Amino acid sequence: MNPRFVPGRFLAALAALVFVATACGSSGNGGPTSKGTLTVAGFNFPESSILAEIYGQALAHDGYTITYKLLLGTREVVAPALESGQIDLYPGYAATDLEFYNKGAGEANGDAAATTAKLNSHLQALGLTALTPSAAVDQNAFAVTTDTQKKYNLTKLSDLAPIGGQLTLGAGPECPTRPFCQPGLQKTYGINFKAFKPLDTDGPLTRAAFKNGSIDVGLVFSSDGDLNSLGLVVLQDDKHLENADNVVPILRQAAASTEVTTVLNAIDAKLTTADLVTLNSQVSGSQHMDPDAVAKAWLQQHNYSS
Amino acid sequence: MTHLANVVQWFANPAHWSGPDGIPQRLVEHVQISAESVAIGALIALPIGIALGHYGRFGNLAINISNVGRALPSFGLLVIAFQVFGLGNLPILVALVALAIPPMVTNSYVGLREVDPDVREAARGMGYRELTQLLRVELPLAVPLVMAGIRTSAVQVVATATLAALIAGGGFGRYVIDGFAQQDYTKLFAGAVLVAALAMATELSLSGVERLLVPRGIRLLQAPSAGRATTFKTA
Repeated sequence: MNPRFVPGRFLAALAALVFVATACGSSGNGGPTSKGTLTVAGFNFPESSILAEIYGQALAHDGYTITYKLLLGTREVVAPALESGQIDLYPGYAATDLEFYNKGAGEANGDAAATTAKLNSHLQALGLTALTPSAAVDQNAFAVTTDTQKKYNLTKLSDLAPIGGQLTLGAGPECPTRPFCQPGLQKTYGINFKAFKPLDTDGPLTRAAFKNGSIDVGLVFSSDGDLNSLGLVVLQDDKHLENADNVVPILRQAAASTEVTTVLNAIDAKLTTADLVTLNSQVSGSQHMDPDAVAKAWLQQHNYSS
Repeated sequence: MTHLANVVQWFANPAHWSGPDGIPQRLVEHVQISAESVAIGALIALPIGIALGHYGRFGNLAINISNVGRALPSFGLLVIAFQVFGLGNLPILVALVALAIPPMVTNSYVGLREVDPDVREAARGMGYRELTQLLRVELPLAVPLVMAGIRTSAVQVVATATLAALIAGGGFGRYVIDGFAQQDYTKLFAGAVLVAALAMATELSLSGVERLLVPRGIRLLQAPSAGRATTFKTA
C-alpha cells in the first residue's frame, strides 16, 4: 500500500517545520522550551535501535522533543515512512541505502564519501538528505583470531597477500563466486588462500571453525558484538573491497536544519566501528542492556551529560 | 531441456573430475562416512537383534526402542551433535549411526524369530550346542532378512549423508548446498543426481553381496527371494 497524502499530517509537519525554523532563529537562549518535535525511527535489529537512540538522545540534549519509532521494520517499511513524513530521520547505511534508493543499480563502492554523494543524488528528488557518513561501519569483514594476528603481525587485509598460501579461508558456500568475497580478495589484494572451507557468514559454523583451528581467516560482520568475546580481530579493508556501509543519518530535508545537521554530524564524527562492536555486545551479549541505556552511556562518555 | 543439457555438460567438464571439489574426492568422502556409519551401526545393532531373536525375549521392547530411534529426525540430531562435538566428522557420524541402527535391529530380530521351530529342534536333536546352532543353522536361515536390514540402513545412510554438507562436511551434499548458495542450479541438480545414483548403486551392490551369502539350499527353497520384514518403510 502506498502512503497517501494526508492533509492533516502535512499541515502538522509544516507547522513543525515553521516551529523548527523559528527555534533555529532564536537558538542560544538556552530556555527549557522545546525546539520542535522530531520522530526518529530504526530498523528491526538492535544496532539500529542503538543508533536511533544515540541520535535521538543527542537531539533531545540539544532541546528537541523526540518521538521514537524503534524496530519499525525493514528498509521497505522505513523508507516510505520517511518519504511520507511519518518519521523524520533514521540511521542508514550508505551503500545499502544507495542500492535501495537506486533499485540495485550497483553504484555503491568502497568509498564512503562518494557512496553518500551518490545516495544524496537519489534522495534529492524525494525531499530527503543523507548527512556526513560516520567512520563507524557495519559491513562484511574478514577476521582472524588474536593468535593468528600476533603470529603474523596482521592489521590490514594487504598483510595477508604474502602469506595467503599458508592460510585457510572460511565463509558461506557462495563466497567462491561472490565479487566481495574470495574473487575480490584475489583480485584486489592478490591473496591466494591455501584452501577454502564452506561454512556460513559469521554464524555458528564459522565460530566453531575458528575455535578448532580449521580456518585462519573468516567472514564476519564488522560490528558484530561477539567479536571481542570470541577473540577475533577484524582486518582493515585498506583497499576498500567492501561497499561502504558506513552509518549515515538519513532525514527529511524539511527536518535537516543547520542545528540538527550540526548535532548529528558531531555524533557521527565521534562514532567508531569499535564503538558499534561494544554497544552491540552490551545489548545482545550476556548483559542484555536496553538500547536506550547503552546509547545514554555512550553519550555521557562523549560529554553529552543530561 | 536446456537445463538437462547443462547438467550433462557439467558432468562432461573435466574440471569437475579432479581436485578437492572434484567428483572422485567427493565420492570417497561420501562413501567413507557412509561406510563407517553403517559398520559402527552394524556392530551395535546386529548383536542386539540376533541375541534377542535367538532367545526370543524382550523383542517388543527392542523393536519399540528402535522404532522410537527411527522417529528421531537426522537433521535435528545432526544439529544437536554439532553443538556437543563441534565441527568435524563426529557429529555426522553420530547422526548417521543413529539412523543406521533401527532397521538392522528389527530385521535381524525378525529374521532370527522366523526360523522354523522344527528346524531349531532338529538341530538340538542332532546334538548342536547353542552357539553352533545359532551360527550354523539359525543365522544362515536368517541371512535374507538380516541382509535386507543392512541394505535398508545403508541406502538410508547414503541418502542422508548429504546433510553432512550443512555443517561443513564433504560428500556429494557439498554440490547441493554449494549449488544452492551460489545459485548454480546445474551444480545442485548434478549433486542430487550423484546422491541418487550412489544410493541405487548401494542397493544393487548389497543385493549382490546378499546373493553370495544366502546358502544354496535356501536359494533353491525360496526361489522368489524373501522380501523385507513388512514393518519397514523401504528406503
